[in-house]
Amino acid sequence: MVAANEIVRVEKLEKVYRQGSVEVRALRGASMTVAAGEFLALSGPSGSGKTTLLNMIGALDAPTSGAVFLEGKDLARLSRTALSRLRRDRIGFVFQAYNLVPVLTAYENTEIVMRLQGVAPDERRRRAMELLHDVGLEGMERRRPDELSGGQQQRVAIARAIAARPAVVLADEPTANLDSDTAARLLDLMERLNRERTVTFIFSTHDAAVMERARRNVRLVDGRVEHDERREPPAGAAASGAAPAPPPAAAPA
Amino acid sequence: MAGAKLPTMAWRNLWRHRRRTVVTLSSIAFGTFLAVIMTAMGDGSYRAMIDKAATTGSGHVTIQNPEYLEKPALKRTIAVSPERLAAILADPDVAGAVARVVGQTMVATARDSRGALFFAIDPAAERADTTLAILGNVTAGAMFDAADSKGIVLGKGLADALGVSLGGKVVYTLTDKNGEIVSGLARLSGIVTTGVTSLDRAIVLLPIGAVRKVLGLAPDEATLVAVFVRDQRKAAAVARRLDASLGPDVDALTWEETRPDLSGFIGMKVSSTVVLEVIIALLIAAGIFNTLFVSVMERLREFGILLAIGFSPARLFSLVMWESLWLALVGVAASAALAAAPLYKLVVSGVDLSSYYLGKKVELAGVAVEATLRAYVYPEKALFIALAVIIATLLAGLYPAWRAGKVVPVESIKLV
Repeated sequence: MVAANEIVRVEKLEKVYRQGSVEVRALRGASMTVAAGEFLALSGPSGSGKTTLLNMIGALDAPTSGAVFLEGKDLARLSRTALSRLRRDRIGFVFQAYNLVPVLTAYENTEIVMRLQGVAPDERRRRAMELLHDVGLEGMERRRPDELSGGQQQRVAIARAIAARPAVVLADEPTANLDSDTAARLLDLMERLNRERTVTFIFSTHDAAVMERARRNVRLVDGRVEHDERREPPAGAAASGAAPAPPPAAAPA
Repeated sequence: MAGAKLPTMAWRNLWRHRRRTVVTLSSIAFGTFLAVIMTAMGDGSYRAMIDKAATTGSGHVTIQNPEYLEKPALKRTIAVSPERLAAILADPDVAGAVARVVGQTMVATARDSRGALFFAIDPAAERADTTLAILGNVTAGAMFDAADSKGIVLGKGLADALGVSLGGKVVYTLTDKNGEIVSGLARLSGIVTTGVTSLDRAIVLLPIGAVRKVLGLAPDEATLVAVFVRDQRKAAAVARRLDASLGPDVDALTWEETRPDLSGFIGMKVSSTVVLEVIIALLIAAGIFNTLFVSVMERLREFGILLAIGFSPARLFSLVMWESLWLALVGVAASAALAAAPLYKLVVSGVDLSSYYLGKKVELAGVAVEATLRAYVYPEKALFIALAVIIATLLAGLYPAWRAGKVVPVESIKLV
């Protein structure tokens, strides 16, 4: 059964990799549910399964067992083409290393997914310009990634991720390559987008300062959800339209 | 502000490794340049040889008695009425047509006698530039001036062998329709010097009217009609049309059928050129494959990202195919720029090979080869080469493109 505002549900996820003759159990029965509008940090030590879990939710990888539901759809039942359409339309990705398309400008990187979606040119332009303005890159539309700083590139990556109006944005260590000031500003941006545009963010992090900013912190250890903590929204967030905080829905292993 | 379409992305991707792209483009351009030059030089020389063979022999297409090819004899004649000649000339690809009596003869003077090949012609109907090149090689005296003249023109070597000078008597002996030996008397009006020794020792030109009288042929009888076409590549089509329209009493044969030695020689040369061109195409394709494959393998992570943000495998395949198409198009354009000036020079001025020939006339497959070798570009062949290069480039891009489409995002992104 799908809760009214449920975006993501993972059930008893197991993922076993083979590295040569060694078997690596990246996930060992992780389960959790994420509701629309959440601002969720996945934390845990290296090798705890954060990135693997993000890959599963993002339909980039398939679990060895267990199930992933995105907006109620069981990803295991979708074809390669359907998964690629799902990633295009319902999931936004932000990567640690930014991963913008190097031959495209900031504007083109922002609008590329909308182009894939078949959004009309005028609408694409309007949304891309508005987003670039929103992430503080007005005037830098024509710059290519190598002409932008790391923080600016990550802002473009965020604009790209939300331009397609996805159900959820998955960010893998989005601040790991940034200095603390830039990282703080990026988190401000993500928080603001979450609050003002009701964009659901799930991001992995090692950084305690980043975890502090999340309104829900799911800690993974050895591929299991060890702790699922919800915080009150930051002061003033409610007044500016923060997303409602759903009840904790984790099912600790 | 416009976004980036797939062709734009592909174009920009091409220039990410400028040096590598330039090297690949150079190989495409140089390979295509070589193929175009080789083809143009071949076509230029074959065209010259075929036209030369036609104007020193029996035309691009020969209308003759169906039995003449197997058993050539002066009794195997055809009727060439003015209406029939007009019908031949009415074909849009035909530039000229002349009736001739052609065969073997024995020419004799008081001093000596020799076997020879004779062309009995109407000097009023023949033109040195379009039907009978030898008319331009009269180096002493002049061509007889009428079809019923008493004149005779001999090759220089033959005249020397017979010890005859201008105005001297020459008796030519033929075999008529009934197998009887008949003779005609003529006076040497001119001497031709083609420079081809075998031809100069054997060629005899006679007035067709006089020969008809000697042989007892009707005024419209001839052994053949030499047909000259505007473009020698259309000889087969013209022969087919004439064969169908002129009736069963004649055969229309192409120069390839009447000159199998020349046809075989050109066929062999064309085959070797094609083999070389295929090798060039394979080398080009290998270079392109290498460039695209390396480029794809370097970008697996990027392709993984593109798949993650919603590119479909088919779109990635298209992206790499666009890159190979750009390579092909730029390579072909570069080759056109590279080939333009040398081709112009080769077409207009040609290459003077006289120093290699040591002042002698060179004969290939019975045809005198010009000392200046000129290229000739058939537009459709140049287009074919360009298309072949583009297709070879696209084929070379298929596997790298397929490989790009097969990327598994999570493996290439290596987030774990």
